[in-house]
Amino acid sequence: MKKLKGVKISRRRVLKVGALTTVALTSGLLPGRLLKAATVEDTPENPNQMGFMYDQQLCIGCGSCGDACSKANDWEEGTKWRRILQVKGEYVYLSISCNHCEKPACLEVCPVKAYTKREKDGIVVHDPTKCVGCKYCMYACPYHAPQFSEATGRINKCHFCYERQDKGETPACVASCPTKALSYGNLADLRKTFGGVNQLPGLPDPELTKPSWVIIPKVLGE
Amino acid sequence: MHWHWLIVIYLFLGGLGAGAYLTSFAAEKGWLGPSSSLKRAGYYLAAPIVAIGTLLLVFDLGQGLYKPWLLIGLLSNLSSVMTWGVYILSFFIIIGLIKGFLVFKNKNAPAVLTWAGAILALATGAYTGILLAVVEAVPFWNTAIMPVLFVVSALSTGLSATALLALLIEKQVSQQVREGQAHLLLIVAELVIAALFFGLMFTGIKGTVGIESAAIVVSGAYSVVFWGYFIGLGLLFPLIVFILQQRSFKQTAKKTVSEPSVISSRLHIFADISVLLGGLALRGLIVFAALPVWDGFTLFL
Repeated sequence: MKKLKGVKISRRRVLKVGALTTVALTSGLLPGRLLKAATVEDTPENPNQMGFMYDQQLCIGCGSCGDACSKANDWEEGTKWRRILQVKGEYVYLSISCNHCEKPACLEVCPVKAYTKREKDGIVVHDPTKCVGCKYCMYACPYHAPQFSEATGRINKCHFCYERQDKGETPACVASCPTKALSYGNLADLRKTFGGVNQLPGLPDPELTKPSWVIIPKVLGE
Repeated sequence: MHWHWLIVIYLFLGGLGAGAYLTSFAAEKGWLGPSSSLKRAGYYLAAPIVAIGTLLLVFDLGQGLYKPWLLIGLLSNLSSVMTWGVYILSFFIIIGLIKGFLVFKNKNAPAVLTWAGAILALATGAYTGILLAVVEAVPFWNTAIMPVLFVVSALSTGLSATALLALLIEKQVSQQVREGQAHLLLIVAELVIAALFFGLMFTGIKGTVGIESAAIVVSGAYSVVFWGYFIGLGLLFPLIVFILQQRSFKQTAKKTVSEPSVISSRLHIFADISVLLGGLALRGLIVFAALPVWDGFTLFL
């Protein structure tokens, strides 16, 4: 009896181990698929990369993020560092600025090196005093973050309020959001958010520049 | 659309100057026939034309006239194709000027200089296409065909511009069979590459935005410019003229008549001007039909 029982258990074990091995092997064979299913993207190259997170379900489209940004950063005439977009005929929004991409196309094409990506937090900063106004970055950025001011003849864009962040303060847009739809943080942590994505329908393929943002899309009917 | 006419003309003139240099280079090497009259005109055209184009680019820059000292920064980012372009154009203008001056003075230029100029000319022509081709966020530009199309158009327009100037400055202009053949070859090549390019776009290989861009050009807002100026005036009309010219070459050879008719040489001038218009139209179409991968406004569910 004892022996028989033992055999039974070991069979079960064999089955269990077998099943587990199969799962492990499959996940090993298809790591990309599993990762994509579970999180936004693989972990960022720079573990200190900061990013925005935007919850489409919480946003009421009030525009206070844009207003706060404009006030805090004194937008040059004709530039919009943060834009609030709306799905036609729906109460569905997107608050978008610069995504401080892991592979910033602006930085790559800029002939005068006006763009720098900070090592400490991955923020992409544009120095308007170096900018010659060639507008090459406006073509390169799929998110239209670099904005040209006809008045000053140069590019301006969101710098994630890096000076505030250096002082331990919150970026102006995030601080102003009444519903906490807009937040920010360490990108690796943000990407663990359940339901978070890095692309919305019709928006650019994230493989182009690897944007440092996480969006929680609105599920209609809720 | 962020770039306008100044950039279109700059891209056109960059190609034109490069093509002009290469035309006279080819003539000097004897590739365009034993007594080609194109050995000097292209060298005269090259550097000034590229310099004028570069000047237009400076006018287009937001800071070009406002804080011109910032332009020195254009040499700093070696990963930017635009920076490559600044180096290539600068060296080409310098070498082109020296070569042009030596040719004008009837002095022999060192072979190294002439060859360096030819390589820089090719680089200039290719650069104008690569500048656009590397922009991934503009599907219409983002193909390896773009630089090839621009180089062929550069050679074609350069050859025509050189032929036109040669008529003005050379005492004896004898049309060479090889020149006509070069014209023909370039126009046929450009037709094939353009067909390939638009065919590729319409397959959807560069996404729906690529198809949209191509559709604007072929059947949309720019279709008149495309069919009228680029295909009609720029390629088909000169194609017919140069085919007729080749046939008349054969006939004159048979009849042993040495004088080409006045009408045919006038037609030749029109064909060359026509090629230039087509080249300008091509740059305009490519720049103006550049739709971004996302328009920056439209949000879907």
